[in-house]
Amino acid sequence: MIKNYFKIAWRNLFRNKAFSAINILGLALGMACSLLIMLWVQDERNVDGFHSNGKQLYQVYERYHFDGKVVAGYATQGLLAEELKKVIPEIQYTSSMDYASQPGTKSTFEAGDKVNKMFGKFAGADFFSMFSYNLLQGNPTTALNTPGCIAISRKMAESFFGSPEKAIGNTIRYENKEDLQVTAVFENIPINSSQQFDFLRSWIDYVKQNEWVRHWGNASPDTYVQLLPGTDLAKVKTEIKDFIYRYKAKEKGSVTELDLLPYSDKYLHSTFKDGYIDGGRIEYVRLFSIVAIFILLIACINFMNLSTARSARRSKEVGIRKVLGGIRSSLIAQFMGEAILLTFISGIIAVALAGILLPVFNSLTGKLLFLPVGQPLFWTSLVGLLTITGLIAGSYPALFMSSLKAITVLKGSLKFSWNATIFRKGLVVFQFSLSIILIVSMLVIYRQVDYIQSKNLGYDRENLIYLPIEGNLVQNFKRFKDETTRETSILSVSKMRNSPTILEHHTSSIDWPGKDPNVSVSFADGVVGYDFVKTMKLNIVEGQDYSTDFGTDSTGYLLNETAVRKIGLQNPIGQTISWGNRPGKIIGVLKDFHFNSIHQTIDPLIIRLDERWKWGTVLVRTKAGKTKEAIAGLQKICKSLNPDFPFTYQFSDEEYTKLYNNEQVVSKLANYFAFLAIFISCLGLFGLATFTAEQRTKEIGVRKVLGASVANIVSQLSFSFLKPVAIALLIAFPVAWYAMNRWLQGFAYKIDIAWWMFAIAGLLTIGIALLTVSYQSIKAALMNPVKSIRTE
Amino acid sequence: MIKLKNIFKWVNSGGNRVFLLKDINLNIKEGEFISIMGPSGSGKSTLLNVIGMLDEFNEGEYLFMDQPVHLLKEKQKAQFYKTHIGFVFQAYHLIDELTVYENIETPLLYQNVKSSERQAIVADILDRFNIVGKKDLFPAQLSGGQQQLVGVARALVAKPKLILADEPTGNLNTKQGEEIMQLFKQLNEEDGVTIIQATHSEKNAAYGSKIINLLDGRVEK
Repeated sequence: MIKNYFKIAWRNLFRNKAFSAINILGLALGMACSLLIMLWVQDERNVDGFHSNGKQLYQVYERYHFDGKVVAGYATQGLLAEELKKVIPEIQYTSSMDYASQPGTKSTFEAGDKVNKMFGKFAGADFFSMFSYNLLQGNPTTALNTPGCIAISRKMAESFFGSPEKAIGNTIRYENKEDLQVTAVFENIPINSSQQFDFLRSWIDYVKQNEWVRHWGNASPDTYVQLLPGTDLAKVKTEIKDFIYRYKAKEKGSVTELDLLPYSDKYLHSTFKDGYIDGGRIEYVRLFSIVAIFILLIACINFMNLSTARSARRSKEVGIRKVLGGIRSSLIAQFMGEAILLTFISGIIAVALAGILLPVFNSLTGKLLFLPVGQPLFWTSLVGLLTITGLIAGSYPALFMSSLKAITVLKGSLKFSWNATIFRKGLVVFQFSLSIILIVSMLVIYRQVDYIQSKNLGYDRENLIYLPIEGNLVQNFKRFKDETTRETSILSVSKMRNSPTILEHHTSSIDWPGKDPNVSVSFADGVVGYDFVKTMKLNIVEGQDYSTDFGTDSTGYLLNETAVRKIGLQNPIGQTISWGNRPGKIIGVLKDFHFNSIHQTIDPLIIRLDERWKWGTVLVRTKAGKTKEAIAGLQKICKSLNPDFPFTYQFSDEEYTKLYNNEQVVSKLANYFAFLAIFISCLGLFGLATFTAEQRTKEIGVRKVLGASVANIVSQLSFSFLKPVAIALLIAFPVAWYAMNRWLQGFAYKIDIAWWMFAIAGLLTIGIALLTVSYQSIKAALMNPVKSIRTE
Repeated sequence: MIKLKNIFKWVNSGGNRVFLLKDINLNIKEGEFISIMGPSGSGKSTLLNVIGMLDEFNEGEYLFMDQPVHLLKEKQKAQFYKTHIGFVFQAYHLIDELTVYENIETPLLYQNVKSSERQAIVADILDRFNIVGKKDLFPAQLSGGQQQLVGVARALVAKPKLILADEPTGNLNTKQGEEIMQLFKQLNEEDGVTIIQATHSEKNAAYGSKIINLLDGRVEK
C-alpha cells in the first residue's frame, strides 16, 4: 500500500514539474535560511560555554547612584580583586584584568630579529586557574605569579620563536622598554570566547607601573571572581554590596554598590539600563530566532497553499478512491505521506543550500559556522523538524481533500466552500503581513545605519589619521610634530589621551562656584595636546583653543556646551573651576561633539592640556586627496624617530564604522531576509492565483462569451487579490512601527520613522503581488471560452 | 437483494423543496439485469448513487442483502459497498497517474489483499479481458473503449455481487458500446453478477431482463 502511495506521490511530482519545483524551492529556501540562523543562534549561545568552572565564574560590576541617575559599568578598582579574595570566604579565586595598550591598539614586541605587534592584557595570578584556556607549556598556577613574566599564545610563540617548545623560558622585549620572561604558552584562544588576546602579563607589574591603581577613587580594570561550589549567591551579593566603603570614604551625593554577573551570561547580557543588566546581544539572538521562525512559517504556509491548489486537480482521484472503497483515514495518510515526501526532498536540498551559503554567511556574520554533519543530534533534530513541517504543511490539504464527497467530485460540481477560501486567503494575508513587516524593518534599519554612518559627529572624520603614541614618540613628540607639519600633505598634528571614538575616562571631582556639595556630577574628561581643536576641526563656540602664545593657557580648561549647561554659567570664559585640587580658568567652549558611540547621549566634557601625556593617540589631519603622500611621509618620519616600533595607523572613518559592526550586520541580514520573505510569499501568492484562476475558469469562459475583453478579465482577477494584500498592510504597519520603535530606543540619536517608509513597503508589496498574479490572470483571460465551458 | 421502500430525496433551493427522488419502491433480486431509463434530469444517476451507497436519501428505507443501509455509518457503508458493489462510470474515471495494472489493482489494495494474491487476481482479469499487453500503459495512451474496458475490469476485480453502471457506453462509439454490453450480458448470464445500468439508449436497455422507467424522480408505470 505504501509503495503504491509512494509511486503515486513520485509520479505526481513529475507530472506537475513547475508546481513541484516552486513548492520544493520555497520550502528549501525557508528551511535553509532557518537552518543558518539556528546555527548562528546556537553558536552565540555557546560562546564562553567551554569554561569548566563556568557555573562559579562571575564578573563584578559597579552601580552608581548620583545626580538623580543610576548607571552601571564594568570598571572596578585596581585592588578590588586582591581584597575580595582576602576578605570574602566564599570567593575562591579572583583576577583583575586590564588592557595592555589602549583599546584598538596593540603592543610592540621584539625577540631576536623579529618585531611584531600583538594584542593582550594584564591579568591576575589566578586567571588560568579560573578560566579554561589550555596551556601548552607552563603551569596554570604559576604562569602569572611573578613580576616580569608573560604568557603568550601559540600564534605568538610561533611568530617569534618558531614553536611553543622553543618559546618557553625565553625572553621577549616589550615596547622596547622591558624584557619579559615567557612562563607559559597557551593554545590560541578559541573563536567562541568573548575574550581574545595573544598574551597576558602579570597583574603584579600593572600595579607597580600604575600609581593610580592603588587609589580606591579610581576605577578601570575588570574584576572576575570564582565562587566556591554550592555558595549561596544572594549571600555573597549582600556581603560585597558596600565593599568599596571599607576602603573609600563615602561621598556626598553618590553611592557605589558592587554586584555580580554570571560570566557565562555576559556575552549575551551585557548592557545596563538604570544600573541593572538589561539585555545586550541576546536581543539580536531573540530577534533572529523570531525571524527564522517567521521565514519557516511563511514557507510552510506557502507549501500548504500550493499543495491545496494543486490537490484541487486531484479531487477526481479522491472521488474515485472513495468509490473504490477508500476511507477517510487512508486518504489522509496518503496526502500526508506526499507532503512528508516533498518535505524530505526539500530538506535534503535545504541542507545542501545551507552548506553552499555558509561561507557567505560566515563572512557576513564574522563567525566560523559549519554544518555539524558528524553529530547524530543534528540529523535527529533535522528529521524531527522535517516530519513536523511535513505534518503541519500537509495537514490542511490532507484533511481538506479527504473530506470531499465522492459523488460531488465526480459529477464535477465541486465548489470549494466559503470557509476553505477564507482560510486560504487568511494564510496569504498572514504571509504578506510578515513580509511587509520585514520590508519596513529593512528600510528603517537601513536608514538608521546610514544615519549613523553619515551623522555629523561634530568633527571631520575624513582625512584624519590616528597613530598610537608609543616608543620614542613619547619623548620626541615635539620633533615629530615639527617634522610632520613641514610635509605639504599634512595640515596639522595633535595628540590626545585615549582616542576620539573611545573617550572612556570620567571624573566627578569637578567643582565650581555655586555647586551643590550634596550632588555628585560626572564629567567625561580628556587630556589633549596643542592644536587639538584645529586638527579635529571642532567648532569653538566661545573663547579659543590652547595656544603657545598664552603661557597661562596650560592650566586652563576647555568645556563642551553640555558641560557649560550643566554647571549653569552664563559667561563661562575666564571663570574659574577646579578639577580635583587644581583650579583653572575656562578658556574655551566647544560645540558638542560625539566622543563615544551614538548609542549614548553626549556627556558633559572637560578637557585639560598636557603635551607630555605618555600614551594615547596622535592625530594627523591630512590634505584632501593627499592621503598616500601623507602616509608615506609619516612612515618615513616614524622610521627615523621611532625605529624600534613598526609603523601602524588607522583611518578615523574606518575606526568609527567598526563601532557599528553589529548594526551593519543586522542591516545586511535584514535586507536578505526581507527579500527572501517576499520571494517566498510571492510563490505562495502565485499558487493561490493559479488555483483561483482554475476554479474560475468556467466563470471566465462565460464572461468572455458575454463580451468581456481580456483587459476586463485581467483587471477583475488581479484586483480580487489586492484585498488580502491590503488587509496585510493594515495589520503589518502598526506591528512594524511598534517593533522598529523599540529597536530605535537603543540609540540616543535616531531617525524618525517616516511615513514614506510605509508607503514604499506598501507600493512595493502591491506591485510585486500584482505582477505575480497577472501571469495567471492573463493566461486565464486568453483561454478559449469553448474549452472553459465544456462540462464533459 | 435490494429493497427500496418509499425512498425520497430532495434538496432545498431558495425556499422550495426540489425532489430528486419521489417515493421510489423497488425490489431487485440477485442475478437480475435491470436497465433504468428516463430523460435527462429524471434522477437515474441519483438513484444509482443511492443504491450504491454513495449518496444519502432523506426519507425511506433501504435494505441491501437484508441489511438496513440507512442505519450504517460511513465506515461501515464503505466496508459494505467495497466488498459487494462495483461501479462503472460514463467517464470511466480511471486514475491517470496509475497504469492499467495499478488501476485494476486499487480496489484490492483497499481490501488489504496480500501482494501475491493481488498479482494472481489481476493477472486473471487481464487475461480474461485480453488486455495483458496493455497492463503497463497509462489511461492517456488508451482509446475510449479500452479505457471503459479497464473500468469494467476494475469494477469486477473484487468479485462484487452487484455492478452499477451509469451510462457505460455514453462516451463510446457504436462498436465499442456493443462490445461492452456483450460483456455485461456475459457476466450476468455466466457469472451470475447482478447488473443495474442507467441508460438513454433503447438498444442498450434491451440487453437487460427488466426495464424501469423514471420521470421526474418517480417510477413510471
